[in-house]
Amino acid sequence: MENAASRPKWIARLVLLAFAAGCAAWLLRLDHAAKISTNVLDLMPAAEQSAELGVVRGFSQGAPARVVLLALRDPRAPETPPAAAARALAATLRGSPAFAEAVVIGDPAADTDLGKKIFEHRFEWLLPTWLAAREREFTATGQAPDGFPRWLAARAAADLESFLARPEAAAMQEMLPRDPLLLVPALAEQARLLAAPGAQAGGHALVWALTRASPFTEDGQAPVFAAIAAAQATHPDLALRWTGVSRFAAASRARIESEIKLLNTLSLLAVLGVSALLVRRAWKLLHLVPIILLSIGGAWTISTLLFDRLHMLVFVIGSLLSGVAIDYGFYLYMQPSLRPDETYGDKLRRLLKPLLASCLTTVIGFSLLLFSDLPLIRQIGVFVSAGLLCALGAAMLYFAQLERPLLEGRVGGGLAGGGALARATVRLLAVAALLVALLGPFRLRWRDDVRQLDLPSADLHANDAAVRALFGESAQRSLWLTHGATLAEARQRLGAFLSARSEGAGSVGQLLPAAADWSAWQGRRAGLASFTAEFRAALAARGFTAESFEPFFTAWDEARARPASTYESLAAELRGALTGPLTLLSNTTTAPFWFLTIVERPTIPPPARELHTIGLNQLASLNELFTRYRWSALRLSLVGLGLVIGSVFAIYPWRRGLRIAVIPAGACFFVFGALGLAGQTLNLFHLLGAFLGVCLSHNYAIFSAENAAAGTAPPVPVRLSALSTAASFGVLGFSRIPVIHALGMTVALIVLTSLLAVELEPLARRKNA
Amino acid sequence: MPSSLVSISVHQWLTLLGILCVVFSELHAAEPLPLPPETLLADPANDPAWRDLFTKLAPTKTRQSKFEERRFFPFRKEPVVLTGEVRIVPELGLSLRYLSPEKNTLIADAKGLLLRDDLGRERTPPNDSRAQAATSALVRVLRFDLAALQRDFAVHGRREGAAWTLSFVSREPAFTTLLGTLTIRGENGALRAIEIVKSPTQRIEITIRDSVEDVLFTGDTLKRFFR
Repeated sequence: MENAASRPKWIARLVLLAFAAGCAAWLLRLDHAAKISTNVLDLMPAAEQSAELGVVRGFSQGAPARVVLLALRDPRAPETPPAAAARALAATLRGSPAFAEAVVIGDPAADTDLGKKIFEHRFEWLLPTWLAAREREFTATGQAPDGFPRWLAARAAADLESFLARPEAAAMQEMLPRDPLLLVPALAEQARLLAAPGAQAGGHALVWALTRASPFTEDGQAPVFAAIAAAQATHPDLALRWTGVSRFAAASRARIESEIKLLNTLSLLAVLGVSALLVRRAWKLLHLVPIILLSIGGAWTISTLLFDRLHMLVFVIGSLLSGVAIDYGFYLYMQPSLRPDETYGDKLRRLLKPLLASCLTTVIGFSLLLFSDLPLIRQIGVFVSAGLLCALGAAMLYFAQLERPLLEGRVGGGLAGGGALARATVRLLAVAALLVALLGPFRLRWRDDVRQLDLPSADLHANDAAVRALFGESAQRSLWLTHGATLAEARQRLGAFLSARSEGAGSVGQLLPAAADWSAWQGRRAGLASFTAEFRAALAARGFTAESFEPFFTAWDEARARPASTYESLAAELRGALTGPLTLLSNTTTAPFWFLTIVERPTIPPPARELHTIGLNQLASLNELFTRYRWSALRLSLVGLGLVIGSVFAIYPWRRGLRIAVIPAGACFFVFGALGLAGQTLNLFHLLGAFLGVCLSHNYAIFSAENAAAGTAPPVPVRLSALSTAASFGVLGFSRIPVIHALGMTVALIVLTSLLAVELEPLARRKNA
Repeated sequence: MPSSLVSISVHQWLTLLGILCVVFSELHAAEPLPLPPETLLADPANDPAWRDLFTKLAPTKTRQSKFEERRFFPFRKEPVVLTGEVRIVPELGLSLRYLSPEKNTLIADAKGLLLRDDLGRERTPPNDSRAQAATSALVRVLRFDLAALQRDFAVHGRREGAAWTLSFVSREPAFTTLLGTLTIRGENGALRAIEIVKSPTQRIEITIRDSVEDVLFTGDTLKRFFR
């Protein structure tokens, strides 16, 4: 008999041990660095519907994110940049496997080299664009096509004469006999149109470097920091300031990790503290610890099994699971047997309906989040659903091993002890709450800011701004990215974007002619045979000594005689000439191809859609995206809520079902109303918290349904459950991460409101009871 | 953040555009004209023959003059002529207002050179060290900062009656290559002409006339012609 009775205990124990061992084995062998991300962009869908945001995403995770800026200063000679030390630092970084490139900014040798290349390739890189523009102007005159060489010569000579009155003409006079078409001066004109960069490097020597690995990976952080520290060690007397995405990513990871540890510990302590106040023999609460651990362990295991990569925020939000997972344990553990001979199996069967109703309705609601576009919301949906199922299973199996498991509550009574005055007061409060719930939400303001997903690190931002200022960054300009599926398409759109600009704008893409202009030049060369003679005559007529321009005529004839080449080889030639920071101004190798343009305005009206040009104000783009996801999350939440309510009506009679549905929904609207009246601005995570709070409040409405029907106070497990949940979420309310704070505060307020409703409900209905 | 970091690349691009002319000038510069060694002034700050002139030339009063600039190019038969007004405010620096053929303002002050076009758009020389050296040297000459001038330039002087000529040859060969030799001419305590000579066919002559001292510039004028 004894063997037969103990068999279920052993089976339960074996199942629990096997589950715990499986989870431990999986989690211990997990590559946490590869599996867990702190990159904000990982919160976005990999295949974002908006192609342009996909480009921004690719851009932000590509080479530009690997840039590291370093500024060296000698405190003993603060006005003199330590150029030699900077060169040595760059050389050391280049020798490190962590860095792909390191160059000293303002190195005259490198600048001279590229300047020479631009001049040498002016006929391939600049002439086709110039010629196409002149031909368009000529076409507009309506003259016969065979008059083009003469018109072109006269126009070029007039432009040259006019240029000589410009301030820069004297400085460029050696260049003009070789470039009377002003191809290179026109390029330099961009610098005239754009305000000076205004670098304030002072006594700093500047080094620009590119890491090999992404700053969001381990390889892009610790080895980079070590290489910089090693390079700095060779010049201990110099002061080094540096910045890079890797610093932010590493700091973010470290802070979130410490946040997880702190929140988990505080959450557990809060739950145990609340429990100790409401139960006798508090040591018995230790029986709930394995249930919480198995719930969280199960949630971690299942989530990491299902997703290739999870954002760390999921685990921060997941720390609240201890407050929820304990609910089923409380309910099972605190229910006394109906009769002395009632077995655990009998008791479980008796409580199974509310337990399953509570757990499954919440799981159904959270499962709906799997249909969200936002990876973070999908991951939270899986994490919480899996954790709740594990918590229920673990509670049912764990207490099967105990002889008559019972945790006695310390408080048995309720608030339902007042008379008519108390009843009237409660009803008045209910009316006031109804008004708040109905009117307050209309005053809500919504705003999503991607920066709220991260911990603010003021010191790093200040250092970053200071270093970038040394490198000459100006807030008076804006950066625009023009993209296309092919290189020719991207360049054609860049041309259209630049043509539409009335303010100063410049792009490295102007060194590459549009594909159509390049092809036209290849075919046009033969038709310009008479241009040389026409240009000589036009120059002489304008007071120039035409023979001074022989270097140009020689180069012109050579360019016309040069064999035709492909557009791709032209782009490759240009790409090869660009080094260091200039390599980041365009992508001419793989789709999506793009060019950056700098505009001499902090903001400009959004370019027409057909220009496919987007501002690199990444935050604004992502904020818009988050706003879109908020509405998507709202739709899913409402559908989920509908399913939960539908399930409740399917399980319970309609009057009881109505009560179960109204309490959480009312609490939610009341909290939103109160926040609206308080002038709070809410975001996506308040909405997510509200959904979670409503699902949790359903539990309390379900567990207290019997008592409500009898007009008595709710059972102790409901109070314990609600207060421990409020405590654990209240802890999240202290998080320094704004979105976690939003989520924790919302859930705690909704849960407390629901508990208050459940507690006051019998008092308000006493007369009828 | 990455977009911020890439703007450093943009800055580098602008810098490069700005120094294109510098680069080319270095590659194809003519040899500067030699000056007679006997005109070299060993210590002009303490030379009684020149000390007073430097004191007078150093801007202590506001001043406004008209000027004509003649630019000689080796590939052009006649010089290009530009006209305008020059304003000097000792605390703010020097401002050249070109009136023809294009309207532009060139400001030389303690921060260096600034070019402002008629639409108010501004441009400063590139941050390239060579261009910076050239512009700061120009500013020192135009401000007659004798201590700095003696440190950076070999000063040649010549007098013929009331007329005088001072030439400044940079001790830094790269600067001489870029800009050539700076010469100023005048009579008594008045500046009459500035010449920047790279070769006989490459030079700029600026003649100054109708000078008025102690001019009271209005706030609008100061804002428009200085920074």
